[in-house]
Amino acid sequence: MIDYFALLGIGRRPCIGEESLKDAYIQKTESSRSDTANVEALSSLNMAFRTLSNPASRTQHLLALEFGDATGAQLGPDLGELFGTVAGALQAVDREFGSLSGQSSVLLRAMALQRVDAVRGKLDDADAELSSLEQSLLADLRRIDQTWIENHAQCRAPLAQVALSLTFVQKWLSEVRERKIRLEELA
Amino acid sequence: MNDIVGIDLGTTNSLIGVMDSGFPILLADRDGARLTPSVVYFPESGEPVVGAAASRMRSLSPERTVFSIKRLIGRRIGESEKDDFPFPVKSQSGRMLVEVGDKLFKPEEISSLVLRKLKNDAELSIGHSVTRAVITVPAYFNDLQRQATMRAGELAGFTVERIVNEPTAAALAYGLDRLGDRSRIAVYDLGGGTFDISILELNDGVFRVLSTNGNTRLGGDDIDRELVRLLIERITARNPELRAQLENKLFVARLREIAQSVKVRLSTEDMVQVEIPFLSGNHSFSYNLSRQELEAIARPIIRRTRAHCLRSLDDAKLDPLKLDEVILAGGVTRMPIVRQFVAEVFQRLPNIQQNPDEAVAVGATIQGGMLSGQIQNVVLLDVTPLSLGIETFGGLMNVLIPRNSTIPCKAGEMFTNAVTNQTAMQIVVLQGERELAKDNWELGRFELEFEPVSKGLARVGVQFEIDSNGILHVLARDVQTGRQKIIDLHSAVDVADEAVEKMIGESLDHAFDDMAERLWTETVLKSNELLPAVRSALTLVGDQLEPDDQRKINALVLEVEAALKSHDPRRLKQANSDLDEGTQQLATLLIDRAMTEAAKRKR
Repeated sequence: MIDYFALLGIGRRPCIGEESLKDAYIQKTESSRSDTANVEALSSLNMAFRTLSNPASRTQHLLALEFGDATGAQLGPDLGELFGTVAGALQAVDREFGSLSGQSSVLLRAMALQRVDAVRGKLDDADAELSSLEQSLLADLRRIDQTWIENHAQCRAPLAQVALSLTFVQKWLSEVRERKIRLEELA
Repeated sequence: MNDIVGIDLGTTNSLIGVMDSGFPILLADRDGARLTPSVVYFPESGEPVVGAAASRMRSLSPERTVFSIKRLIGRRIGESEKDDFPFPVKSQSGRMLVEVGDKLFKPEEISSLVLRKLKNDAELSIGHSVTRAVITVPAYFNDLQRQATMRAGELAGFTVERIVNEPTAAALAYGLDRLGDRSRIAVYDLGGGTFDISILELNDGVFRVLSTNGNTRLGGDDIDRELVRLLIERITARNPELRAQLENKLFVARLREIAQSVKVRLSTEDMVQVEIPFLSGNHSFSYNLSRQELEAIARPIIRRTRAHCLRSLDDAKLDPLKLDEVILAGGVTRMPIVRQFVAEVFQRLPNIQQNPDEAVAVGATIQGGMLSGQIQNVVLLDVTPLSLGIETFGGLMNVLIPRNSTIPCKAGEMFTNAVTNQTAMQIVVLQGERELAKDNWELGRFELEFEPVSKGLARVGVQFEIDSNGILHVLARDVQTGRQKIIDLHSAVDVADEAVEKMIGESLDHAFDDMAERLWTETVLKSNELLPAVRSALTLVGDQLEPDDQRKINALVLEVEAALKSHDPRRLKQANSDLDEGTQQLATLLIDRAMTEAAKRKR
């Protein structure tokens, strides 16, 4: 496994400033561009930047480098419940998309649009709840980052927990946002 | 010479440029025109004619004049509307081909004729031969469309040094004299046949694309088509006997030409008198078309770009207010309604300093200058527009390289044998954003070979690499033997195409067997959906109807119910469609009601 922190010349830790990461990436990219467009090196740099830009993938990469792959984190029951609600809202919207697609009857379209309107609120709620959860997970990450230098091992379990939750929250958030855009398209 | 020309190979027009003492300049042809229509006319005998001269033949010889070929390049059957074109479009082993006279042409062959004309004009203009080129493509082009464009360049005698995304090129043209800036810009590129939106960060000569989105089947052509439809409506309303003329390709081609020029004029004028002298025999036609009328038909088409803009902002994790500038590319962005729309979506007035027809070509020329070393201190970091993945268990798509990954990039996947002595495994490579494999573009499939060993012991790593042109390369490496193999997806594509065609054929054969049965079942389903909807709509808003209209709807409902008992599919179908027609007002009332309620909630 490539150490993306080392590749970009950045110290290993959970939180990295966005600007310093970008500067390091662009500096390395410019210097490897000059040696005859080295695809291999550029691909790795691009991958490194992508991985380290996202807090969830960055934390997972850090854990893998420091402690090996298996982290044993599991989703807590509170998240499980939230995801249940989100999945419910997504399914409800998808059902209406299904009944709308290829629907030529004006009346049936109007009926389906009414039902869509009812689930729109659910999507907004899910978006709000997931966004605030994302913020609080990022705050957790910054807190853990404070103690990282003193004791890596102690950070392992909480980091794994945050990384896993964040990965799920981001995935669901992007699903919710995509549905919202598609709803906009219909209106 | 070391020159690398930059080419904008557009749906409607194409341009070529070259670096001249450090500055990108666009080259004109013998007639002084920089814009070359992407049109090829094939005379009965002799060499094909390209450009403005060919464009003039569009309404005289529509069946021998090929245009908008970009809509077909790199596409398979079922991906493009064959009937949009006055020239015949055929499919052969899954590929789209254009038929002129008794000859079949691949779309890339047509494009190569346009490129060759640009090459000749450029050579004449700068006085020596050019062999190296940068060619632009819509950012949202998939791997197959990029490959086909590259082949078009090669057929025209170019070494294609780079395939560049059009909005990225437009951003280069905008940013070249602002290299010291730190800014975030959006490029809204609506061309003749394609739409792209890209968001970039400019920082000390580094152009970094944050996200891109688009639709390769959306553009000015669609507005032209709707405008032709409108003109036909107006003409036949006045002269019903001209309806027969609609079969006449010359007639329709002439209307299309007129529609195009009217559309362009209405960007600067409020009203245009559409004059069609000697429409047919002695008939002439004159009609005052207002900008408002044009905008009414263009609006729904332009609105379709909105979702792409929102996705792109979302992927860049940016609020529109965080953007410093929105720039425009593509001729359609001259329409005032497009500019209003962009201002609304991005909450700022677009920057209109650049010539929207030329920005992409200027950018391609700059990219050529970067590759030849004439421009330094500029770095371009572009992305792949579509997620790349493979089909996995259960027909799902497993994403290996997500969309908006900076290119070049690569991803590896390890495969093993599921049973002892298994010697091969089929891998299906996909591009797209949908969850189900079948909803995405299939780039090709290949057989991965295993050594005959016990279950789980074979190990073959496959590397997927997207190069700086956005084109995919696949490499397989057997971990035990160390053998490497470059996988050619092309041959695989052809096989897959034949299979697809066979499948389509089979399903058609099948369809005829039980057509009657299916028709009845489907019609019944429709009735069962319609009846409760009408009833519930009547309870919701029925009181707002005139008693007479209520009675009419009730009668239509009764007829559907009676037809359901009759087992006569034709009668039921008619009853359904009558009910559908008869309840339009009801639907409008429902939508009004929903809107009032939504407004109430917002308050």
